[in-house]
Amino acid sequence: MNDKFTPNIIGFLCNWCSYTGADLAGTSRMKIPPSLKTIRVMCSGRIDPLFVLESFIKGADGVMMMGCHPGDCHYQKGNYNARRRYVMLNSIFDTLGLEKKRIGLWWVSASEATRFAKVTNEYTKEIEKLGPNPTSKEIFL
Amino acid sequence: MNKKIGVYVCECGPNIPERIDIDKVIEELSSMGEVKTVKRYSLLCSNDGKKFLKEDIEKEELTHVVVAACSPKEHENTFMKVCEEAGMNPYLFQMVNIREQCAWMIPDKEEATSKAIKYIKAGVHRVLFHDPLKQKELEINVDVLVIGGGISGIEASLSLAGPNRKIHLVEKTDSLGGMAGKLSQILPHQGSKIKLVKEKIEQVENNENIHVYTSSDVKEVRGFLGNFEAVVKSNQENKEGIEEEIKVGAVVLATGFEMFDLKENPVYGYGEIENVVSALEFEEMIHSEKIELKNGKKPKSVALVHCAGRKEKGYCSKVCCLYTLKFAHYLKDNLPDVDVKELYMDLCLPHKQDQSYFDQAKEKGVEFIRMDEVEKIKKSGDKIEVEYRNNDKADKVSVDMVVIAPAMVPSQDTSHLAELLNLPLDKSGFFKELHEMLDPVATPMEGVYITGCALGPRNIPESMTQSHATSGKILSSLIPGRKVKPEVKVSEIKEDLCTGCQTCLSVCFYGAISYDPFKGVSVVNEAICRGCGSCVGSCPSGAIRSKHFTYYQLYQEVMEALR
Ligand SMILES: Cc1cc2nc3c(=O)[nH]c(=O)nc-3n(C[C@H](O)[C@H](O)[C@H](O)COP(=O)(O)OP(=O)(O)OC[C@H]3O[C@@H](n4cnc5c(N)ncnc54)[C@H](O)[C@@H]3O)c2cc1C
Ligand code: SF4
Ligand code: SF4
Ligand code: SF4
Ligand code: FES
Repeated sequence: MNDKFTPNIIGFLCNWCSYTGADLAGTSRMKIPPSLKTIRVMCSGRIDPLFVLESFIKGADGVMMMGCHPGDCHYQKGNYNARRRYVMLNSIFDTLGLEKKRIGLWWVSASEATRFAKVTNEYTKEIEKLGPNPTSKEIFL
Repeated sequence: MNKKIGVYVCECGPNIPERIDIDKVIEELSSMGEVKTVKRYSLLCSNDGKKFLKEDIEKEELTHVVVAACSPKEHENTFMKVCEEAGMNPYLFQMVNIREQCAWMIPDKEEATSKAIKYIKAGVHRVLFHDPLKQKELEINVDVLVIGGGISGIEASLSLAGPNRKIHLVEKTDSLGGMAGKLSQILPHQGSKIKLVKEKIEQVENNENIHVYTSSDVKEVRGFLGNFEAVVKSNQENKEGIEEEIKVGAVVLATGFEMFDLKENPVYGYGEIENVVSALEFEEMIHSEKIELKNGKKPKSVALVHCAGRKEKGYCSKVCCLYTLKFAHYLKDNLPDVDVKELYMDLCLPHKQDQSYFDQAKEKGVEFIRMDEVEKIKKSGDKIEVEYRNNDKADKVSVDMVVIAPAMVPSQDTSHLAELLNLPLDKSGFFKELHEMLDPVATPMEGVYITGCALGPRNIPESMTQSHATSGKILSSLIPGRKVKPEVKVSEIKEDLCTGCQTCLSVCFYGAISYDPFKGVSVVNEAICRGCGSCVGSCPSGAIRSKHFTYYQLYQEVMEALR
């Protein structure tokens, strides 16, 4: 192990598209940063904004929300809920003066392993640049 | 009950040990409190592997099981079944993905191992919060709700009804038949002698398996194939406002079309000029055998104007050329001296008998005039002038009567029904089938089908054929005796936390949540909920719990990831 900062990133992935896309990235032996821990939910609509905030406050350096592309949600429109909540989270982050860059929403389909690899690697690099989440030491719940 | 967890790490042949130090995993996991046993196995999904797992669960008297292997998308169901066979509740099981999302995506063995350990620990913490859920089975409902009592809805009902299958046929107006019921006669080569619609309506009325609701509409529909609930509301005078809840297994939309409103475009002078009538009014004149001008005289000359609204709407309505030909024949046959002019943009004669029908009209002296557009219909003395343009050349005809064929447009309730049922519309505003060739008459909502002019302009035979197609799909999927397994991982609302704010109602796309005014709380209908979990995040009181993906279960995964 070295002293380089390894971020802690949590990814909430919907079961039908993004989680399957992540599996395919593995099956295709794509290199995905180990700093990403994925959590499977049935639909991106299940990504309760509370989880994102909670993950963040408990020390996650970044939170990725992933779901099916608009129009492709297994439950028809759950991802539109996710999108609304993402927008809402952005304004919450603004109000609280938190770094918005640390949360993000991506559409990744079941066949988009390459996209999954690309966004997770790019995002991890970005978080590495940002450094550790300063909030975790400041907020006590 | 004392919790005894068993953790099974699968090697998947060389796949997992190549990248993950399984001994280290076992060492780390063994020290966890409730973990009774941690074992490795070469190929857990093989028959031997499943046998080993089953026997080990029994031997160790486990209450909870964690399998760390491939993706849950691969073998979650396999191992849930093994747990069940070993006498456990299959939901007290958690699958941890250390193959696709660890071994196969992290080249560094140390990193992959430490991530695998985190994932498995999260799985152990999570499974402790699992509830033993029960899979229910519902008998499939084979009855069908048909919305729209035109020829399409009638034909669907007749071909579906049987001793085992009740049909609920809901018609908005006070009588069945739709547009076809208003026609004086159908085209001669379609068999104008047969009283098609009248006979079909009689068959419906005499069929004890078809329940007809006239002057009614459908207020609510929720559910999925084999399991729909709908509310039919009556607008009949003596029954006004009475609502009836019905249960069906499939829904057929046969709401047909409407006529383009000629008043929308003032060039037609419709509603302003006497003796300018719509095709439907002319059908009525034929029906009453009274082709007369307002002053009671017979017209000496008639112009039949095609394609009204075609430019505005952007499509050809397919049937108008043929029924205006029918009008021309009628006029020539019944008013021997009448002068008939047809003004058309393109002649649409798609069926094999149409050409000779057209030729015969010509022989009878009907004049066919090609035009690009009607410029103006106006009164000029006793006559009506139809001014039109053809290839930039302006011209006009002067006649006693003008009959206009308006485009067929989506029926008024289409967008409302689309919203109710979560269905897409095409760019003209008609319902859209899943795929015209790959999946005709089907929709993205399993168990909901569309037939007839609700999909766009078409004639009676085409509409009826499509109704047979919907029946075929329904008959092959709604087989009496078949069971549906409703989703287990549904959401539930805690009564004591719910404030009755009803925010969640608007979030659920399936209409699975309703408000109970007596208790002042909202309730999830488990038979309809799909378990997407969308509603959970919307509740300001945290009253909604998504089974098997509860806050506490996911929280364990979050916390372990951050540890
Ligand atoms: C003037 C004219 C002449 C024609 N002549 C011929 C011909 O000779 N031969 C031929 O093959 N075709 C002809 N057609 C075409 C023919 O009328 C259609 O193909 C046929 O009517 C389509 O039947 P449908 O049941 O799909 O729709 P519709 O006939 O429109 O029936 C739809 C029914 O659904 C009901 N409805 C609508 N919304 C609701 C709701 N929300 N709830 C409950 N009920 C609802 C309506 O009241 C109506 O009864 C002609 C059309 C016109 C306009
Ligand atoms: S259970 Fe999964 S990981 Fe284990 S052998 Fe079978 S496929 Fe491989
Ligand atoms: S959002 Fe929550 S509190 Fe409001 S009605 Fe729904 S369950 Fe009850
Ligand atoms: S989980 Fe909630 S939003 Fe999803 S179908 Fe069930 S009740 Fe509706
Ligand atoms: S199922 Fe993937 S976003 Fe809804």
